[in-house]
Amino acid sequence: MIAKRLRFKTSGATQFVDITSQLRDEVRRTGLRFGRIYLQSLHTTVGLAVNENEPLLLRDFQSLLERLAPSGAGYQHDDFARRFDIALDEPVNGHAHCRQLLLTGFATLLVEEGDLVLGQWQSVFAVELDGPRQRQLAVQLDGEFETEGSKSSPLGGEVARRAGRDEHQSKHADQALVELELTRQLMIDPDPVALPMRRLVEAGGKRLRPRLVQLTARIGPRQEPLRAAALAAAVELLHNATLIHDDYVDESTHRRGRPTVAAAEGAERAIAVGDFYFAKATRLIAEIGNGDVTSTVAEALEAICASQIDDVALRGAFPGDHESYLKVVRGKTAALFAASCASGALLSEAKPEAVEALKRYGDLLGTAFQMADDMIDFSPSSGKPVGLDIRQRVLSLPLIYAAEDKAVGPEIRRLLAGTLGDAEVGRVTDLVRSSDALDRVGDEARGLVEAALRELEAVELDGLRPTLIGLAKSAVDRQS
Amino acid sequence: MRAQAPVIGRELERLDGLWEDGLSDTYRSYLDAVVSYEEEAQPKLALAAALIEAGLRLQGLGGRAAPAAALLMGDLCLARASRLIADTASQSLQVAFARAIEELSATAASGGAGKPVRELLVGALESGR
Repeated sequence: MIAKRLRFKTSGATQFVDITSQLRDEVRRTGLRFGRIYLQSLHTTVGLAVNENEPLLLRDFQSLLERLAPSGAGYQHDDFARRFDIALDEPVNGHAHCRQLLLTGFATLLVEEGDLVLGQWQSVFAVELDGPRQRQLAVQLDGEFETEGSKSSPLGGEVARRAGRDEHQSKHADQALVELELTRQLMIDPDPVALPMRRLVEAGGKRLRPRLVQLTARIGPRQEPLRAAALAAAVELLHNATLIHDDYVDESTHRRGRPTVAAAEGAERAIAVGDFYFAKATRLIAEIGNGDVTSTVAEALEAICASQIDDVALRGAFPGDHESYLKVVRGKTAALFAASCASGALLSEAKPEAVEALKRYGDLLGTAFQMADDMIDFSPSSGKPVGLDIRQRVLSLPLIYAAEDKAVGPEIRRLLAGTLGDAEVGRVTDLVRSSDALDRVGDEARGLVEAALRELEAVELDGLRPTLIGLAKSAVDRQS
Repeated sequence: MRAQAPVIGRELERLDGLWEDGLSDTYRSYLDAVVSYEEEAQPKLALAAALIEAGLRLQGLGGRAAPAAALLMGDLCLARASRLIADTASQSLQVAFARAIEELSATAASGGAGKPVRELLVGALESGR
């Protein structure tokens, strides 16, 4: 059990403070794998809530609280003439206490596989009812922590536990460096671009690309964790910049449970924020001073942009075919995975054959990762809205396979040719699930991971092979 | 079609229409700004600057947002320019180009009116020597 205090300062009389990312950070920092977080407000005018972080909805909540317990409505608590021992600075806040009664002061959140269990739209809020003030919440984390060693390690015994602990500590140190670098970079940028990017970065993400950079940066003789973290953070910023433009193109309203930049702040702002971080990331990479790294990432960025054009063009022939799918995915997703692996290795001055092998590993892993992502679109337990790819007519391998299926294919193709409302999306989802398409995609993704792992067999990886194997397998065997 | 230097032709894959649509003129307008660079690098640097200018215009940066297809074409222009710069330019020029785009996009995000694109890119070419 770990006990902590979460401190924060509010800036308004009534304010919904989203504390989800801080809680996620605590889970990461403490290494809690499976368990619970207990939260308790330490104030009588601060409540807790789990709901959607949508700005207009938050205003609705504020209006609701105002209607149910209006301020200045003659609360007896505010009649200081009838109270004893009141402080000189006693606030007039009967309404705030009454509002707190409508909320809760306690919450229990579940943690699985090292992350909070939250639905796609759920965020955790501390609700300020009588601000602005300095506030704190009591937090307890309880359950199975990673530092106890990995019992399922194939190596077994004390050696495995020690290796697991070392790897775990190294992973957390790496993550902390990247988060620190991201925070540092986002602090110094102008607010109009930094705030939307900060919201996106703080909303989470798997940080797989920076992880790949940092791991592969340990392979060659020149191992400099700070340079690796700088490159890893720049790659993550670049990835997020492409997502901001993608969301505008796809007309997506939400990403990582939050409104997209385009939805929240308009297309013009989204384009500017994407451009700013595209440029900033390329500058940060250039400033590292390794020409091969700069060229490697620049080539990947070009492949991503070209594939985005292909992706949109192929929506006219939705759901497309396997060959077109692979072409798009290798550019759109796998190129940056491959570049992350290669650039980390280049930074460490690894041997050319290791760089090439890692690049192929990243390419195969990125493709498998996208296939796993496609499968999640059909999973009701992922926490993401089911059928979003279908609705947005995004290339999806399960859909391609199901459309080729003799039994369900004709109906799927007929439905996809028409307007896609809720009923049609639901029916297509059911048809895909009833076919063997998901099994085929799962097999194909696992086959790609096996191929990716074979790429690692012939090169010296300075003891990192088990970590790269574990990372590849977990990227495919995931639920969200 | 207007004549291109052979090295330029290779870099226009998927951007052919843009060349006739004004990219060639924009390219030529940057040739004076790159004369102090090595001869081999000059066409690539002028093309990189022209692609940035064309890309930002396609995206509608600082004005009305472009439709999706134009935005993606603009993104490809910027990415192509970025790769050309990475392969051709010194570190200081890479940084100067990036800073020019940062300044333009930060100004656009704040709704203000900044310096013209060309002025910033020519300034980058001068400072990056």
